[in-house]
Amino acid sequence: MIEKDFWHNSKVAVIGGGAWGTALANLVSKNCLDVRFWVRNEDQARAINATRTNQQYLPEIPLSEKIHAFTQLDRVFEGGVNAVIWALPSSVCRAQAKIISQYINGEEIILHATKGIEHGTLKRVTEILREELPCPRIGVLSGPNLAHEVAKGEPAATVVASAFQEVIDAGQALFVTDRFRIYGETDVIGVEWAGALKNVLAIASGALDGLKYGWNTRALLLTRGLAEIVRFSVAMGGRESTFLGLAGMGDLLATCSSPLSRNYRVGLRLAQGEKVDAILTSMESVAEGVRTTESVWEFARARKIEMPITEGVYHLIKDGASVQEMLHQLMTRPNVE
Amino acid sequence: MSTESPTGSHPAIRFEQVPVVEGPLSSLNENRAKILTDVSKITLSEFDKSSVELSLGQALYSERIRLKRDRGNIFTRGRLKEDRKLWSHVQSGLLRPVAEVDRQELMERVVAHYAEEIGGRFDPAVYRFATRAVPWGFSWLLNAASVKRFLPWGMTQSLESRLHILGEVPSLQKLSQKGTILLVPTHQSNIDSMLIGYLVYLMSTPPMAYGAGLNLFSNPFFSYFMRRLGTYTVDRQKSNEIYKHTLKNYSTRILREGVHSIFFPGGGRSRSGAIESKLKLGLLGTALEAQIENLKAGSPKPRIFVVPLVMSYHFVLEASTLIEDYLAEAGKHRFIITDDESWQPTKVLHFFWKIFSSRAGITARVGRPLDVFGNFVDDDGEALGPNGTHIDPVRWLTTRGELRAEPQRDREYTLELGRKIAERFHRENTVLTSHLVAFSLFETLRRKYPDLDLYRFLRLSHAQRSMAYSDFLLQAEIHHKHVREAADRGEFYLSEELQTSNVEAWVADGVAQLGLLHESGVAKVRDGVIWTDDLNLLYYYRNRLTGYSLSLLAGTGENMKKSSIFLGQNDRKGFLA
Repeated sequence: MIEKDFWHNSKVAVIGGGAWGTALANLVSKNCLDVRFWVRNEDQARAINATRTNQQYLPEIPLSEKIHAFTQLDRVFEGGVNAVIWALPSSVCRAQAKIISQYINGEEIILHATKGIEHGTLKRVTEILREELPCPRIGVLSGPNLAHEVAKGEPAATVVASAFQEVIDAGQALFVTDRFRIYGETDVIGVEWAGALKNVLAIASGALDGLKYGWNTRALLLTRGLAEIVRFSVAMGGRESTFLGLAGMGDLLATCSSPLSRNYRVGLRLAQGEKVDAILTSMESVAEGVRTTESVWEFARARKIEMPITEGVYHLIKDGASVQEMLHQLMTRPNVE
Repeated sequence: MSTESPTGSHPAIRFEQVPVVEGPLSSLNENRAKILTDVSKITLSEFDKSSVELSLGQALYSERIRLKRDRGNIFTRGRLKEDRKLWSHVQSGLLRPVAEVDRQELMERVVAHYAEEIGGRFDPAVYRFATRAVPWGFSWLLNAASVKRFLPWGMTQSLESRLHILGEVPSLQKLSQKGTILLVPTHQSNIDSMLIGYLVYLMSTPPMAYGAGLNLFSNPFFSYFMRRLGTYTVDRQKSNEIYKHTLKNYSTRILREGVHSIFFPGGGRSRSGAIESKLKLGLLGTALEAQIENLKAGSPKPRIFVVPLVMSYHFVLEASTLIEDYLAEAGKHRFIITDDESWQPTKVLHFFWKIFSSRAGITARVGRPLDVFGNFVDDDGEALGPNGTHIDPVRWLTTRGELRAEPQRDREYTLELGRKIAERFHRENTVLTSHLVAFSLFETLRRKYPDLDLYRFLRLSHAQRSMAYSDFLLQAEIHHKHVREAADRGEFYLSEELQTSNVEAWVADGVAQLGLLHESGVAKVRDGVIWTDDLNLLYYYRNRLTGYSLSLLAGTGENMKKSSIFLGQNDRKGFLA
């Protein structure tokens, strides 16, 4: 296996020191030679290198010896890397890509693990990276992957999607372990939209759980929610079949059922009567779903794409409507032919 | 606009007898035999020994259908006879056991036959003659045509006032010294081939080889010249794999020889009149293939540059046939008109006569040069990436540490190049008064009948196809405003005549141009009424502005497709019902 050998001897940069970035760095360290881990904060870098853990985001997981944390990009990209794993929040993707573009030589494989879209433009992360980086071979990694569970080594799987087969191959070679499976996919648009849109439903799901309803209600939300996010993704050029896979249904189930999910917690606290601004400022990491809801609903409304649940979440966030009120509106809306 | 001279063309264009620039094409003839042998060899190597029988069988099947359908004319009969001889030989060969007839030998014969048919020649003497004869012919026509109107001052009329060559002419000139140019023009008319050959000469770039439809070679006069001007043949009726491989390998090979080449990436002429938005990627992919091989071989000038060229005509000779074809085939571009009335020399003469006897002109804009991935290239041949970065093609073509061809990756790159070219075609387009008049009149009439589908609309009665000229002017002004805004956003260029706020002036110009060529009036104005005699033609000329989201109504052409995206067109299984 020449291909495996190549990746086993490769150097990989992981950009972004959050929980998922850390978990990915640990996964990839099993299949490559050298992991250069870029984090924003000098203290964080020093702590990671000294203690071999990421105290802030993933304290209970020991990190591989192959991982070296840096804050300077020229150290990360010194001598070139073979792959770049991109795990930054969507809101900083473009600005950071502009900076990193100077270090990219074009030969790298880039895989991003960001589940979000650019506010306002509705550009997907692969689109942003393609616009800002002089590097064409880009893919996305997405699936039901709660960082803590994957990091602990619980059995899980993910989807790597790219227009380029070699990006999919690289993703499989780099991340696969006996506890983590990788499925290849060519529908990049569908996978990215699935990853972004399920965050909207996670908020709704948290909100419902805040009202302590049972399984019927949750099944109703997830099924009708799936229908509307498929409708949107198909309008954006994705394939509906993608939503039957891990990046679609899989991610939706994990995110909408787990109190570990940040977006779910936003919904839960909204249902308990907290204000959205207060919730967001109190949270340590970014809840992508809030901004996604705003951008998506504004777009869908203008294009007349039917998305009643997204609309409801939008009113929860934007207009401070109560969950009860929104639920009533959704339950009593007329059936559309 | 400041870089353009008063004649309207780029100052780098001198309308005079320019010395013929010798290029690699000049040595094509000497190497022809070798090139064709190499092309055959490579093609043969691409067919696995075990699949030869199958490939031959498939080719035989499709060729027999083609030969049965094609009755040919007096000039093509010889060629057809040769074809029939070959294929009946293949057929009888395939019917006999492998032990008696070597399949590989049959394959070699087929490939050699195709290579010989495709391969172009180049005769510098003919080129020199043609470059002298064409402007001479043009000036003769010009003067003869304008004599009627402007005698004797008409003699001062010249080509300059009729041909507007704009855009990145100097970049093209510079890059033609630094690497190999692949010129990709939009394709509306058979006139394109002639005209582009002449434009290339006027721009003082070395002569270019180009692939022309085999049907154009049926006329012995044109055939003689084209054969000797580096033209190679492309027969879109031959759809079998053996032919396609041979053709691609020939194209790759001459690019590798450093021969600047031209091909129409849209395939055939635009049937609808719209600018090409879907391109044929097969031949386009040869640019990347040649680029990879050049880099691997360490050629001294390895770079291949892709340069879009957008032609804008006020009227198109074969517009009626094209649009009828389009409407009949509902967008299937595979249909080919074999009996093409427009290619009769008298028609061509008629076209140029019209060009020269009126104030109409032809605008050609050289687009910004691209590399084989669709990145912009500067005048030094450096490919530009985002954020001030430079792109090293070797990096983009290296997979797992090795510079090599990688079919799946390369298809994706070519797809991206195709998208980029289509985008550049739209952006480098020059909108003329006639296009906007056609667009405005069509849209205004269309809005009066929102309930009719396109086909019923096109059959409106004569009375329904007219409106008060003053009303039309109001609508035209609104469209003009939208178009100017779009031009300011960089979506296309406007011709000089459109850069006025005098509606009546540009509308009058557009109406006059539209009416020149066609016997039925595309747009006519009399007694305060504007009407059209031929809605199909009006639709054809209107389509030049499709793809810009300018239409305010859903339900016509491109716009319908665009809006239907949002109705879930991929939802074939009705998942979302």
